[in-house]
Amino acid sequence: MIKLIHLSKKYGQHTAIENIHLNVSPGEIFGFIGPNGAGKTTTIQIMAGLLAPSSGNVLLSGISMNSDPVNAKRLVGYIPDRPYIYEKLTGLEYLRFIGDFYQIPFQIFTQKSEQLLKIFSLIDRQHELIESYSHGMKQRLIMISALIHDPPIIIVDEPMVGLDPVAMKLVKKVFKTRSQEGTTIFLSTHTLSLAEQICDRVGIIHKGQLIATGSMDELKSSAKAGTKDLEDIFFQLTLEQNKMDLML
Amino acid sequence: MTAIQSLLKPRILVLLRHRLSIKKKVGLSFFAGIGLMIWTIIYYVSYRVLNYFKHIESIGDYLSFKLLSMILLTLFSLLIFSAILTVLSKLFLSKDLGLVNGLPIPSETVFLARWIESTFDSSWMMLLYTFPVFIAYGIVFKAYTLYIIFLFLSLIPLAMIANGFSSMIVMPVVLILPASRIRSIFVFLGLGVFIILYIGFRIMQPERFVNPDGFASVILYLRSISMPSSPLFPSTWVFDALKSSINAKYTDALFHVCLLWSCGLLFVCINTLIARFIYFKGYSKSQTAQSRLITGKNQWLYKVMAKTPGPVRAIFIKEMKTFWRDQTQWTQLFLIGALIVIYLYNFSVLPFEKSPINAVYIENLFSFLNIALASFVLTAIGARFVFPSISHEGMSFWIIQSSPVTIKTYLWIKWLCYFLPLFLLSEILIVLTNILLHVNWFMMILSVVTIAFISPGVVALGIGLGAAYPDFKSENPTQTVTGFGGLMYMFCASAFFGSILLLETYPVYLIFNAHFKRVLLKDIDAVIVIICFFSCLFICLSFLFIPMWFGESRLKRNVQARNTEKFDFHEENMLMLSDSETETRRSILLSRVYKIKSGQASRYPAKNIIEEIQSCH
Repeated sequence: MIKLIHLSKKYGQHTAIENIHLNVSPGEIFGFIGPNGAGKTTTIQIMAGLLAPSSGNVLLSGISMNSDPVNAKRLVGYIPDRPYIYEKLTGLEYLRFIGDFYQIPFQIFTQKSEQLLKIFSLIDRQHELIESYSHGMKQRLIMISALIHDPPIIIVDEPMVGLDPVAMKLVKKVFKTRSQEGTTIFLSTHTLSLAEQICDRVGIIHKGQLIATGSMDELKSSAKAGTKDLEDIFFQLTLEQNKMDLML
Repeated sequence: MTAIQSLLKPRILVLLRHRLSIKKKVGLSFFAGIGLMIWTIIYYVSYRVLNYFKHIESIGDYLSFKLLSMILLTLFSLLIFSAILTVLSKLFLSKDLGLVNGLPIPSETVFLARWIESTFDSSWMMLLYTFPVFIAYGIVFKAYTLYIIFLFLSLIPLAMIANGFSSMIVMPVVLILPASRIRSIFVFLGLGVFIILYIGFRIMQPERFVNPDGFASVILYLRSISMPSSPLFPSTWVFDALKSSINAKYTDALFHVCLLWSCGLLFVCINTLIARFIYFKGYSKSQTAQSRLITGKNQWLYKVMAKTPGPVRAIFIKEMKTFWRDQTQWTQLFLIGALIVIYLYNFSVLPFEKSPINAVYIENLFSFLNIALASFVLTAIGARFVFPSISHEGMSFWIIQSSPVTIKTYLWIKWLCYFLPLFLLSEILIVLTNILLHVNWFMMILSVVTIAFISPGVVALGIGLGAAYPDFKSENPTQTVTGFGGLMYMFCASAFFGSILLLETYPVYLIFNAHFKRVLLKDIDAVIVIICFFSCLFICLSFLFIPMWFGESRLKRNVQARNTEKFDFHEENMLMLSDSETETRRSILLSRVYKIKSGQASRYPAKNIIEEIQSCH
């Protein structure tokens, strides 16, 4: 469903990501984890069509983000880490704005938006200006906007930032349900417990390079004896990589 | 005191450590040059006016000092108005207040640091641009050097008093009304007063003042209103200090300066006391959301645009709604309205009947020149609304980037959103002024068609250059027009409609000649007319498509650059590997993979890494 083919991105002299090659299957929840500045957001922005790669390609359901970005973006629901949205629109107007881009018929839009606004507990605030929303409410609204056109692929950058525990639980549930319905979810996160709980597979990115991929069991079985969880694996791998950098 | 210094330090350090690129230095020098030019013009005009007054017998000095008193009173009023807006922003609405108020320092210290900043911010520009007027007074009245010292000593406490007075009003009011709403009310009131003064001044017909009969009556009128300024106004103290120092009565001047400083410092003390008790309460209250004035239940726009393509509808409705809900945008319509009223009024009072030239000829000449004026109005409106429209997307631009439309489509939709209203406005303007000018049908059609061809290009320049030079991080995107891109826009748009009018001049002259002489155009003249009009068409089409293409390509590049800035933040985490280092890294990785494969190590399952390394070779 998602194919990252030798994806690299350089900013002048700096290499943000280098030769990332990855396949995510339909219905899979893929967790992308790594420390600050590892290249997670850059990878996600390239996948969502916000950035052009220096080399390589992103294929979404076989459609290239490089050569046919409009059709590739139709397949994606993108949730950024920071909820910058048009503050002078109301919640419902913002959803309508997004719905119009994806050409959702009015009746379907009304039905979908009502359903999602109820799920994300924003139905009572739908006619208020977004500027009066809290950070978490804006984040929930963006999630609704990413789901409203029923995309087969959801790309999420740090899904839990600014959410309260109830919303976090809800988001996990929504992702799980969507994944069971066949939606592919690619999420980047710092929250290792989240990756452990909901991801089918995990990729660890460090200093722009994908240093490990696999299911939780695969990662655990290959790690040192006594490794209990993803946090241990994460620290082992990133530490190893740092040692390697020192050797160079 | 140390805490106040620490609170002011970030602001000072930003100024001191600000490293400017050569491009920014050039831009800054350019704007400094413009500022200096304005400063010189103010000085020159003041000098000429005062010199003129000085040579009027018996009442010359009286008029000059009356003018000085009026200038000082106006300056004081403007300082208070500006201080109210700045105090509201600095003390209650600034984004960094959360951090500052969290520090272990008393609230009156925060207040004092912010108050010093707001006194400077609210007054420096006004004082800078009234300074040449006062210098002109000193030179015309041959004052001694001490006058300059007294000038400084009296203007600084005037700014302190204005700011102190404003803070004393604002602090208690914030406890009752939300700070953001008070600011809106004051912006609205200020704008209203400005428009009334502007229209009132024009309708007074100041051109009568150059008429000797009219001027005499004005002087008599001014003399009749020999109302003394109130001794309670600080502006009167400044006036007395300046007048005394001009007349070399330094003890009197010193007395008034002391009066100003003691009043200024008294305001500081009273405000500090008030701040101790209510500043934090007011700040806390201003952080709560204001009550809802707008709800979005009205669906008529969606119904009207039901048949239009989705992305066009989405962007059009978004632009409409954000425009009408953003007070920094829609309030500018009042200014545009006042500009248009004056514009039309000027045409209605043009004294054609007094002209020694044939009225029909001059009316049509004015109509032709009016195309340039209307184009300029269109350009000016474009500078306020069209050019900043891309920057208005702000940090929300990711929504457009991730949506299934290309940047090109997005820019053309934006163009359409602004073209329709501006096209209608400019056509209405040109038709109304032509009716007021009683022009013939040829000129009417020529004006209407020319404006119809110029307006798409002007809007395209606004969108294209706005996209080429966006500022997504600006808190006030309307100000982007004062930058390099805005300057380019004004220059290109003026060059565009100027060239069109220049190309039309000769054909219009030929056609008019033929019309007045009641003859047909000669063959060669007809060819010239056709060539000129086709050249105009070509220029119009070029100015429609080239700026849009330029904007699209620059915007795409800028978006990548914007992310580079963000990336620089994590620079220390990033790898900068030379080719040899990359090669060594690959060989280490590969040897590790072989170890895993041969069972000598159990680390790194990562089949993708094996794939990756293999693909590298």
